[in-house]
Amino acid sequence: MSFIVNGISYKYSPESKLVLKDVSFEVKEGQVTAIVGPSGCGKSTLVSILSGVIPTLINRGVYEGSFDVQEKINISVVSQTPENQLFGYGVEDAISFGIENMGLGTDEIIERVEYVLDLLNIQHLRKRSVATLSGGQRQAVCIASVLAMRPDILIMDEPVSSLDPNGKDMIQYVLNQLRESGQTTVIVDNNLAWFSDIVDHVIGLIDGKVVFDGDKNEFYDDFEIQEKLGVTIPQEVEIYREISKKVKGLNKFYSIDEAKLEIGRLIGKKDDGTQNNIHLLKTEEILVAEGLCKSFQDGFRALIDVDAGFEKGKVISILGQNGSGKTTFVKHLNGLLRPTKGTVKYKGIETSGKTVAQISKDIILVFQHPEHMLFEETVYQELTFCARAQGIEFKEEEALSILRDYDLLEYKDELPVNLSMGQKHLLTILSVLLSSAEVIILDEPTLGMDLHQKNTLEDIIKRFISQGKTMIIISHEIPLVFKITDQILILNDGIKLAHDSKQVLANRSDIFESINIDLPPVVILSKHFGFSQICSDTNSFVQEVIHRLA
Amino acid sequence: MGDFLQYVEMDSFLHRLDPRTKFMFFIVMSVLTSFVKSGVALLFLFVVFTVIWITSHIGKYMFELLKKVKVLLLFISLLWLVLGAFTVNPGPFIYRVAYTILGNSYTFSLDWFDFYKGAVFAMRVFLMISVFYTVILSTNFSQIILGLRSWNVPYSVAFGIGLVFQIIPIIIKEFTTIMEAQSSRGLEVDKCSAAAKIKNYIIVSLPLLFRVLGKGHSISLAMHYYKLNFKMKRTSYKLIKASYLDAIFGAVTVISTVSTIVLHFMFYIPL
Repeated sequence: MSFIVNGISYKYSPESKLVLKDVSFEVKEGQVTAIVGPSGCGKSTLVSILSGVIPTLINRGVYEGSFDVQEKINISVVSQTPENQLFGYGVEDAISFGIENMGLGTDEIIERVEYVLDLLNIQHLRKRSVATLSGGQRQAVCIASVLAMRPDILIMDEPVSSLDPNGKDMIQYVLNQLRESGQTTVIVDNNLAWFSDIVDHVIGLIDGKVVFDGDKNEFYDDFEIQEKLGVTIPQEVEIYREISKKVKGLNKFYSIDEAKLEIGRLIGKKDDGTQNNIHLLKTEEILVAEGLCKSFQDGFRALIDVDAGFEKGKVISILGQNGSGKTTFVKHLNGLLRPTKGTVKYKGIETSGKTVAQISKDIILVFQHPEHMLFEETVYQELTFCARAQGIEFKEEEALSILRDYDLLEYKDELPVNLSMGQKHLLTILSVLLSSAEVIILDEPTLGMDLHQKNTLEDIIKRFISQGKTMIIISHEIPLVFKITDQILILNDGIKLAHDSKQVLANRSDIFESINIDLPPVVILSKHFGFSQICSDTNSFVQEVIHRLA
Repeated sequence: MGDFLQYVEMDSFLHRLDPRTKFMFFIVMSVLTSFVKSGVALLFLFVVFTVIWITSHIGKYMFELLKKVKVLLLFISLLWLVLGAFTVNPGPFIYRVAYTILGNSYTFSLDWFDFYKGAVFAMRVFLMISVFYTVILSTNFSQIILGLRSWNVPYSVAFGIGLVFQIIPIIIKEFTTIMEAQSSRGLEVDKCSAAAKIKNYIIVSLPLLFRVLGKGHSISLAMHYYKLNFKMKRTSYKLIKASYLDAIFGAVTVISTVSTIVLHFMFYIPL
């Protein structure tokens, strides 16, 4: 059995433009199908059509074509924010909610609840309240609640976008279980890196049109389409893509082990492994946290004696699993939280006497979800908000030029909440450009961004650095962290595990293992081949390979 | 306290009760506190409640509630004190003076009875709020829905009530995060005039509105994904049944209700 999407075109109102244009493809039974495409390409609209939200709940649009499935076919969706989808206080309540709605007998409900708890290996969570679960556990419970309804097709919409590496591992495990059980699954996500092992079939959308429809290997072979779609692919595949552009006859590889083999064939055995650490020039520490401790009312110790100095003009990333104290730590830097013990000094002066707004003139924290920040009536006003709130003078032309540089000029009079998620995030970050802050803290800045927008974010970070600003970034995107960062601060259970340059920390795989975070493939391969210096991005790695070949 | 107005997970006898027993307690005590105006009877009820709170380990949350509503209670007391000051009551007084305005004679009389009246009304309001809070602290929204359904309340109503209790903490958290996000980018909400503070609070209401609308949209989508149809008969995974604890608590409720009524008639002073 297969499910056929047959020439679907859709627009939200007769006056608006087409969001989907003659979209046709087939979802094969028992396979994992990925739907990818840049921000605003129509993925979410397609999910609404596949799940029946259009036209059942949203029925004012113009809909042509059909989704050819039998009437009794059951299609369920797991959204990217499980907290909005779980109904019920406890895990058992949440899992049984859907099957209770189906009017099944109590015995069958019990049987199905047990089945999904066993299938996803989450029996240990059954008596917990949903509110106390981690992000990954919540998402697993959400998947369980949907699976209990025995859907013919399970659609997952960016299921790991807000999860830490542990959460991603858990969902990867769940997906493997589903694949083995023969569940037909559709994953809508522009980041293929985390589920590349599981996916069978890829559908690529650009501007509402299907531009790619083929299996995973065909997709990885088509370099041009990968770039056009702005898909984040596994770094191993990116390495293959870049080397094969320069070296003929390279066999394909999709994993680190295959990469070791194939690149090894090209450049021979590894060297003796003497690596030169690059010692970066130390600069003045503009922001210093000394002995920071934070205990909350319930006795939870979120930070334990954390010391950290942040050098001017550097990019410093903070790594750690959820609950390691990253956000608590940065909230101390900008004064949102006051330490139980310890101090924060900006340019040698304690910040303790200042309000958050006063500190924002020097240190700005950009939150994870742009919707928490956007409230002005136009994109232009939003861009200039920080400067106006801080009383900083700016020229209109300067603001317009920022919008122009980052493709937002055409939206300057639009309501900011109408932008795509990635654009909203870029706008909140750009609004800091006109402020007086010397230290900019970004909490998970890549949330909702496609690869093109991530590249734009890299440009913005470079722009900040060129202005002498200091960037502190919290991110779970480890390859990106290694690419853009000078130094890394690692927190675990509120304790500082390490704070050093990325080159030094790349050699400390023990630390990364202890916090269950994988080093990027370029780092692992650089070490494997004993490169004179550890590469932190694909380009430098490829350069090193070419250099070795020469 | 972040978990204000929320269910608190613990294993107390109050938590183990059948939700219907707690609903009955809520109804009986709400009616009782609406009618009883005797200070002695209300004091007795307060002692009963305190024993319940302490034995079920929710005393600190009720103390937190008292701190949150102290301004309201003070306002109620003062209101009755001020209104009572223009009436001369029999009994001891603290300060009494007669004066004339435009040829009319008035008496300003601060009586002990006015203090009593203020205290009685403040205590009634506190007991009313605390009865509700006692049930909320010890009954999660899934139990509320189950309890209401077993009383044949339509599922759409029961689900709606449960959803409100599920959403309230989410909205409180959203509001806090938005305030933090705005102050982080320069909006002064700490050291500014009261007028500026109010203006800034209004400013953050817009993102809060969008977030709440977004949450509402997501919840309606989820209801669709889970095939929620209020017209269809729904089954249940969990069943609720009363135990000996419910019988004991029911007996305590009846005895304390009767005692309160008796005390009310014995010590009633017309207010």
